[in-house]
Amino acid sequence: MDSSVVAAIDVDRLQVSYGSQPVLHGVNLTVAPGEFIAILGSSGCGKTTLLRTIAGFQKASGGSIRLFGRDVVDMPPEKRGMAMMFQSYALWPHMTVLGNVGYGLRLRSVPKDEIRSRVAAILKILGLSGLEDRTVTNLSGGQRQRVALGRALAIEPKILLLDEPLSNLDAKVRIQLRSEIKSLQNRLGFTAVHVTHDREEAMTMADRIVVMDAGRIVQVGTPEEVFDRPNSPFVASFMGAENTIELDVRPSGFSVEVHAGNGSAATWDGPVPVGPVTAYFRDDAASLEDPHAHIDGSLVLPGRIAQRTYPGGSYRYLVAVGDRHFSVTDGQYHEVDRPVGLRLPLELLHLFPATQPKGKVHA
Amino acid sequence: MERPSLIGLALIAPALAMIGALFLYPLGFSLVSAFTEESGRLSLTHFQKAYELYSTDILFTLFIVIVSTLLTGLISIAIAGILTLSETPWLITALRNLYRWPLFIPFIVAAQCMRTFLAKNGLMNNSFVALGLMEPLQATSFLDWRGIIVTFVWKQVPFVTLMLAGAMASIDRATIEAGRNLGASRLRVLIEIVLPQVFQTLLVGLVLSFVTMLSVLSVPMMVAGSQPTMLTVDMAFRINSYGDYATANALGVISYLIAGTVAWIYLRHNVKQGAQA
Repeated sequence: MDSSVVAAIDVDRLQVSYGSQPVLHGVNLTVAPGEFIAILGSSGCGKTTLLRTIAGFQKASGGSIRLFGRDVVDMPPEKRGMAMMFQSYALWPHMTVLGNVGYGLRLRSVPKDEIRSRVAAILKILGLSGLEDRTVTNLSGGQRQRVALGRALAIEPKILLLDEPLSNLDAKVRIQLRSEIKSLQNRLGFTAVHVTHDREEAMTMADRIVVMDAGRIVQVGTPEEVFDRPNSPFVASFMGAENTIELDVRPSGFSVEVHAGNGSAATWDGPVPVGPVTAYFRDDAASLEDPHAHIDGSLVLPGRIAQRTYPGGSYRYLVAVGDRHFSVTDGQYHEVDRPVGLRLPLELLHLFPATQPKGKVHA
Repeated sequence: MERPSLIGLALIAPALAMIGALFLYPLGFSLVSAFTEESGRLSLTHFQKAYELYSTDILFTLFIVIVSTLLTGLISIAIAGILTLSETPWLITALRNLYRWPLFIPFIVAAQCMRTFLAKNGLMNNSFVALGLMEPLQATSFLDWRGIIVTFVWKQVPFVTLMLAGAMASIDRATIEAGRNLGASRLRVLIEIVLPQVFQTLLVGLVLSFVTMLSVLSVPMMVAGSQPTMLTVDMAFRINSYGDYATANALGVISYLIAGTVAWIYLRHNVKQGAQA
């Protein structure tokens, strides 16, 4: 980020506790104006707490939050000037669509006629024209979340916070709204922080992804960086590399030799940690070959197909190698129980030093 | 299909019989006796007498009950609002622990407490004098209409608050946060977002309080013994002093009418809501 531009959101060593239980342990995050950030993590990792603290619904126990240079950490939520979308839509059931979308403008003392015309313009963008006087309880889930989006955008916020707003919608509407929110963000230029546990949603919407684990940010980067170059076993498995295998990396001249337990080995000249490592790989990184094949830059582990399913597009196999099972996606049809070679291209493996097994610790 | 409905009828028969014997029969009887002369002729004589003797008390009763209901509503909204929207944990804990106490105190005990609290040399005035807020000579007794209202409000606020705070706690918290997020202060959130969502509950609580206060005898009798007084005291007086059931019944019918009007407002609102949903 260009350091001369004031950050839209600057979170500095933010700490949050629920009672005596610390939830965020000194989180640092800088979001540039107009940037779309997705905070990704499993439930309980603190991602929603981070968002709610930025919004002002959760008190910080330490650190600071600056919005466009203004410290807001002690400011009540109504003074922070942000807009937010909620998982439960959070529409006001006693108000019409006009009442909901126009409420923020009413709070800002905008004249009634102007509210009506501005709301109409927003509803037009969202494909809800003519629904002004409908009560929100008579709308479908997708329409409700569009009204909530309209309500948030009506005040022309500089920052939009999204607290898993799409997770209650059915798949088709979800994908549609994803691209609508993204294109509106491109068009209007607001800064967006989107909390989600849906990896694909984060990847498709965000400019940068923030992965959180146990109250800490563990990696920040573009979707490609986080997906292709995870910096820890946690991020690797969270981004879908759920197969693991223990390997041994030995130096050999200017390159290294990667050995699998069964005697299969390959040389590699990329940067890898030396010694015992754990390799993480996605099911589409591996492929199925002849059990005796030798391929440069790949390990081939002989195994047997234990299970085959067809989720659509290509087949998903469960391959047994010794007593381990790996899940592999492959376009080719193979019979169950057939001997195969599990090909692991080294460039697609995420290698991390293996943690010492407990039995071998002699302190 | 005939058998289950008979069994059903048999099951509710005891309850129906109780309602008939203990409510409908006395109600019918008092209605009939309010509208008939001793000779058995239908007439409005008893109402005329009730009106001549007690028209001031009818207005007084209406005034007391309406003002008490409004104050109960306002204070309950304030307490339930604080319980729902406050960000000061100790205040919430203190209020939550304190506000329910009067619920467990009978009206007659509350009236007795208020007698000692609100009298000219009562605890309230003595405290004000001791705090230097007031000269002893300025002390006046609150044991009149003000005393009745204070007692009613003190007694009914916990009941309405209990209902209201429960209803407020069950609305989607995110609707409150959405309001604050867009820039609404907590007071505006309370009035424009929270209250409309629990209005039905508030209305039920206030209607029930209204009817309860209308029927309390001990408080007006003990707190403000003199004229004007409430209809319950007048009814007791007609019966105890004169054995005049007819006029007492006429006053009773007037009470029914007042209570019935409030119930009608409530039902009308309910039907409207039902039509909207």
